[in-house]
Amino acid sequence: MPLRPSPMTALAALLQGYLPRLVQLRGWVVAALPMVVVLGGLVVSILLRLNGTPSGGATPMALFHLGLAPVMVPIMALVAAPAGIREDMEQRTLPFLLLRPGPVWVLPFARGAGWFLWGGLWLGVACLGLGVLGLEVSTHFLALLLAYWAELAFLSLLGLLFRRGTLWGVLALFLWDPLVRFLPGRLQWFTFIHHVEALAGRSPQGGEGILAQAPVETGFWASALVLLVFGLLCWAAAGWKLHVTPIGLSGGEAEG
Amino acid sequence: MITLDRASLRYGDILGLSPTSFSLPMGGGITGLLGPNGAGKSSLLQLLCGLLPPSGGEVRVFGEAPYRNPAVLVRIGMVPEGDRFPAGLRGDRWLRMMGRLSGLAGTELESALARALAMVGMVDRAHLPFSSMSKGMRQRVRLAQGLLHQPELLVLDEPFNGLDPEARLELMETLRGLAGQGKHILVSSHILGEVAQLTDRILLLLRGRLLAEGSVSEIRALLDRHPVELRVHSGDPRAVARWAVEESGLAGLRMEEGAVVLSVRSPRTFLPRFQEAVSQGAFPFTALSPLDLDLDAVFHYLVQDHA
Repeated sequence: MPLRPSPMTALAALLQGYLPRLVQLRGWVVAALPMVVVLGGLVVSILLRLNGTPSGGATPMALFHLGLAPVMVPIMALVAAPAGIREDMEQRTLPFLLLRPGPVWVLPFARGAGWFLWGGLWLGVACLGLGVLGLEVSTHFLALLLAYWAELAFLSLLGLLFRRGTLWGVLALFLWDPLVRFLPGRLQWFTFIHHVEALAGRSPQGGEGILAQAPVETGFWASALVLLVFGLLCWAAAGWKLHVTPIGLSGGEAEG
Repeated sequence: MITLDRASLRYGDILGLSPTSFSLPMGGGITGLLGPNGAGKSSLLQLLCGLLPPSGGEVRVFGEAPYRNPAVLVRIGMVPEGDRFPAGLRGDRWLRMMGRLSGLAGTELESALARALAMVGMVDRAHLPFSSMSKGMRQRVRLAQGLLHQPELLVLDEPFNGLDPEARLELMETLRGLAGQGKHILVSSHILGEVAQLTDRILLLLRGRLLAEGSVSEIRALLDRHPVELRVHSGDPRAVARWAVEESGLAGLRMEEGAVVLSVRSPRTFLPRFQEAVSQGAFPFTALSPLDLDLDAVFHYLVQDHA
């Protein structure tokens, strides 16, 4: 008789099983998002050089702080998260997974891990591209990777908690997060952008205006830890939510 | 093997299954779970397969509560209702994943996959993406998923839905073969004929309640409010009628063209007397056919009685 698979076996099985999903349309959208910014930046940089105008390193910083970190990484997470455990709920294939003897709590992370690795790969490529333009690669890559990790986990959890999890995610990432400049004191801690800037340096633009608040200083490793732990907590919460929620064939919850 | 003790299931305010008690013994064979749409069949199967916990009472499968219980789940295979499949995946890749999630690995997994695909006749087509498969092919892959880890109990929820007649017959043959190998199979259906072709051991559900369990003849015998109707074809139906009214146990009769329909309370006592009268030449006799001993009639009476 087969034995109960360990959490690592279940993780590996789901990663391997759903691997083809990464190289289908949604996966290529995730890949294209950071590359659009980088390729655009490269084209602009080449044009500037042809005109004899030095960019002075401003272009890659602007691309990072105005394009990649606040726009593309959240969109990548918004595109990738619904293809995780939420996809199994939507297409009603989750019961197949719940009927197997593996640990249930590992399923949300196992379904999201592939998307994290895939997105992380393309963020790495994007950072290398910006490195050509003069951006310091390692810290900026770490900032993007940790932001993507935390945002993907956050959106995956929202997808399990709410039917309209993606909408709540959009509100959080595109309404709340940009308020970082206007949030007083420690409230800035509760935005992803604050920690990205703590890791990769503050944006050269922004911070002006009569409502702008003084930025709170957070250490590099403190912010790295915050994003890492926040992501872990979101995955853990998603696993716990799935573990304690009876989900039937219709996809709805039953009263146990 | 399966025991329900006043087990019930609620979906919020909606009662999916009323407190239900029954037990199915160990050993191979097919049990049909029968009832119209909304009768509570899927609710019952979800309790048995450990997908949902009971709202009340107790469910035991292999002696343990099945809900999210790996020790039980590893011994159950389930094929849920509906044409659900993971988009963007190939059949064989998905099956390998499900095999790994069932604790299979390496050569054990590959041989289990080959065996399950051979059983459902999908060896040559499992490499196709689900989106390129016909509904019947997808159903077979889902069945292979349920068989992959060689479960002792195989549960199928409306497995014949959407299958063409040929595929239905093939699936029935497969299920009979599996039952012959000692597996216990629980099949739900709202189509009486399908279940009747598969098995005589049935559970009848209606509006979330278990109405009856046992073989069709056992259940029919319990329906004493409904006398059994026997159509007697004869060259002289009036002679048959005359003989019948003199016999005790006749509840009614009606004349038809070339036949008479007798309503008898106890076929067990009536039929030997009838046989004796035929052998003595009491009336001309051509043929005898029961009208309401089949599953359709039994189900109809049960529904009527519980309306």
